[in-house]
Amino acid sequence: MKKNTNFSRRFFLKTTGAFTLLASIPAVLKATYIQVKEFIVPSKRIVPLTVSVNKKAYQLDSDTRTTLLDLLRENLDLTGTKKGCDHGQCGACTVHVDGERVLSCLTLSAMLVGKEVTTIEGIADGDHLHPMQEAFISCDGFQCGYCTPGQIMSAIACVKEGHTHSVEDIKEYMSGNLCRCGAYNGIVESIQKVAAS
Amino acid sequence: MRYFEQQHQPPREGRVEALDKVTGKGKYAAEYKLDGMCYAVLIGSTIASGKIKNMDLTKAKQVKSVIGFVSHLQKPEVPGFASEAMIKASRFGLPIFHTDTIYFKGQPIILVIAETLEDATYAASLVEVEYETAPFNVDFESSYGAVPMKEAGKERGKLDAWSDAAVVVQEEYNIKPEVHHPMEMHATIAQWTSEDHLMLYDKTQGVNNVQQVIAPLFNLKKEHIEVMSEFVGGGFGSGLRVWPHVLAAIMGAKQVKRPVKLMLTRPQMFIGTGYRPASWQRIKLGADLSGKFLGIHHQAKNETSLYERFSDQITRVTRLIYNFDHLKTEDALVPLNINAATWMRGPGDCTGDFAIECAIDELSYKLKMDPLDVRSKNIAATHHPDNKLPWSSNYLLDCMTEGAKRIGWKNRNAAPNAMREGDWHVGYGMSVGMWNAGRNKTSAAIKMMSNGQIIVQTAMTDIGTGTGTGMKNIAHELTGIPRNKITIELGNSNLPPAPSQGGSTGMSSVSGAVVDAVNLLKLKLAEYAAVTNLKFKDAPEESIVLSETGISLAHEPTVKVSYSDLWKTNKLDTVVVEATSAPGEERKKYAFCSSAAHFCQVRVNIKTGKVKIDKLICVADGGKIVNEKAAANQMSGAAVGGIGMALMEERRFDHRFGGLIGDDLAGYHFPVNADAPIIDVSFIGKPDPHINPTGAKGLGEVGIIGTAAAIANAIYHATGKRLRDLPITADQILS
Repeated sequence: MKKNTNFSRRFFLKTTGAFTLLASIPAVLKATYIQVKEFIVPSKRIVPLTVSVNKKAYQLDSDTRTTLLDLLRENLDLTGTKKGCDHGQCGACTVHVDGERVLSCLTLSAMLVGKEVTTIEGIADGDHLHPMQEAFISCDGFQCGYCTPGQIMSAIACVKEGHTHSVEDIKEYMSGNLCRCGAYNGIVESIQKVAAS
Repeated sequence: MRYFEQQHQPPREGRVEALDKVTGKGKYAAEYKLDGMCYAVLIGSTIASGKIKNMDLTKAKQVKSVIGFVSHLQKPEVPGFASEAMIKASRFGLPIFHTDTIYFKGQPIILVIAETLEDATYAASLVEVEYETAPFNVDFESSYGAVPMKEAGKERGKLDAWSDAAVVVQEEYNIKPEVHHPMEMHATIAQWTSEDHLMLYDKTQGVNNVQQVIAPLFNLKKEHIEVMSEFVGGGFGSGLRVWPHVLAAIMGAKQVKRPVKLMLTRPQMFIGTGYRPASWQRIKLGADLSGKFLGIHHQAKNETSLYERFSDQITRVTRLIYNFDHLKTEDALVPLNINAATWMRGPGDCTGDFAIECAIDELSYKLKMDPLDVRSKNIAATHHPDNKLPWSSNYLLDCMTEGAKRIGWKNRNAAPNAMREGDWHVGYGMSVGMWNAGRNKTSAAIKMMSNGQIIVQTAMTDIGTGTGTGMKNIAHELTGIPRNKITIELGNSNLPPAPSQGGSTGMSSVSGAVVDAVNLLKLKLAEYAAVTNLKFKDAPEESIVLSETGISLAHEPTVKVSYSDLWKTNKLDTVVVEATSAPGEERKKYAFCSSAAHFCQVRVNIKTGKVKIDKLICVADGGKIVNEKAAANQMSGAAVGGIGMALMEERRFDHRFGGLIGDDLAGYHFPVNADAPIIDVSFIGKPDPHINPTGAKGLGEVGIIGTAAAIANAIYHATGKRLRDLPITADQILS
């Protein structure tokens, strides 16, 4: 921003046409217009939203910019879904939307009206863990545990999608979920175990 | 940390914290909800060198929920940064918000705080900064040549004594910088609970280290800072330092008088939490015709920042594995306009070992000898080659024998570029690695209740290594108390003090403390038992036997007092013991090491340059294995890291503008599931007799150290092409 002109280049380009018009308008009005440009920062839009997460309906007012990931973590205190990159590159935020695996960081919460979201917190049946959760425990399919919820959500989908014919098949269809600890041995074993049962 | 235990169900096999991790209940640093908490976003400089001239916050302030800013122009007082001299003395590193100087592109210069993450992020995008730019340099390759080297450690023998060696390898090795990238991005929630009390929820590998670094900056008592790191989503070294963003969050919380949450973005993880520095090495290695090493000259340089000098100590490993009568090591630092480097898994040794192990492989082919035999001939199997102390235990030769057996080393065609399957060339390679096995002073406490339940505590974090599970296994073995009656608490600075979890010292350090605490518990319970039965009076700890229900004597098992009687008679509530365990005289008598051998079979497509790793075998000597499953997981995970180092990882700079390119997980590749084979891990499993009471040596580093060299050597065997620069990408193979 150039201090001497007092407005940004983008603003200048956008408003050159307007200024041409303004040339024929009295100075007082021009000053008002320059004042107005101080308020070009748009205010956020809050919309009422009903979302269903783990079969529970939440009614809330949501910022239209809020992703499903941030909605879960920051607004609903469902922190089991993890933020590993916020760019759809690591898979840590994987959840199910209507039963399909989805990256919650690339999903705006406003897109979820009428859909059912399932997170890591919603796959156990009361005290009975999902078989994939049990398998991850017994096969030690993790170390630090941070990518684990995303791995488990993807693993459940991987079995459901039928990509478990071979180790290579599993590895290929689980390659959207990064694990920096490198616990891939145990992740593959967990999926084999569930697929076989 | 109190791990979730369901006692009405049979105990699950698996880690103590497993249930919390697979259900998403475990809380990592950024996942605590505090009353009045607001969100902070860091802004980095857009130039690589120069000064900040002006910051225009006008537009950012128009975002309604913005609460405050922190920069060098508006900030709460940090007494420990009151003067240039104090900043330097603090050894904090980057004096965040206390300078207008820009040392590197992406340097954090402003913190924006708002009610929501969305608002803070948007407001941050509206901040406008004017700079005065200055010349910069981010180009390691064109800079290292001009930097002179100095001696790194004492010279052994004489460099020119082996100038007539029958076989000499003299080559250069270049390794690109690597970034740790734990899956959990670094985050801190800072809350001033009073004027002089601070609560931190932080991603760190050492809660006590955070206290020690932050306390003097704010003139606080260490114990007035509580650091909570119950769950840590990986570290690999990035959590061994207290980085500028931690101080930013603390200053932010002070500025707005509310709890502040700051989570770095993935691009900020490239520039804010260290990395393995770029390196250049030259190795000159000589041997006689029998394959006996005569001497080595190892030179190394690594890049470093302008505001803090970090030596990766690349030549250290040269003094560890092999006998060299003549040895000279030199190194140098190359300062650039980049952020500070730090230890990354297998720090220094990983880099140095790659060069040595590739040079030895090259030497073996020149000698027409099996690389395995050349190593066997020269490994310092009985004594530490530098300080001459006898090894407390060293099973590296056994690791090699076992690894060779597992991969079928003997059955390979030893000639390079000889095994083909169409366009795919097949090759075998191996390498060894070693790490000085350390141990640090650590405390652990045990609390026991009348029903025989115990809680074992330490401040040490568990970054994914299985520390808690190891502690539980040790306590169970020594007390006979069933696993479902043992609770582990760790990762909080209020618990008995412990060092940071790093350098493969975690289990080695804490296991001794748990053993000592169990012994104290035995003595204390015997004291109480002596009130009803004099036979327990002054009983030595080795004669005291604990079980699920009570205390007895080894030589008289019928003499038994139940815990409930013991508690009743002595009117006890909770029995608490705390022990501190540290290395001692044994360190003067013995040298300690962990070691591993890596073998691999690769397949290289000669048309596309693609490298596929068919088999990767790792055999390690880590002393007693306290938790076999977690230990194998550590080793295979480290090997996956080694695949990344060998074939894909590289932090790239744009030399024209001085910034990073490809600074996200699409631009920076580390191995995905399909990049790694199922890794075959096994252990020697013999306890070290002297390192600590359990005989467990560390494992985290040796899992990665030799991996990259084994892969590079296999690529040579497959293709006949000797590639000495990492990562080995398709273009190198096709060139």
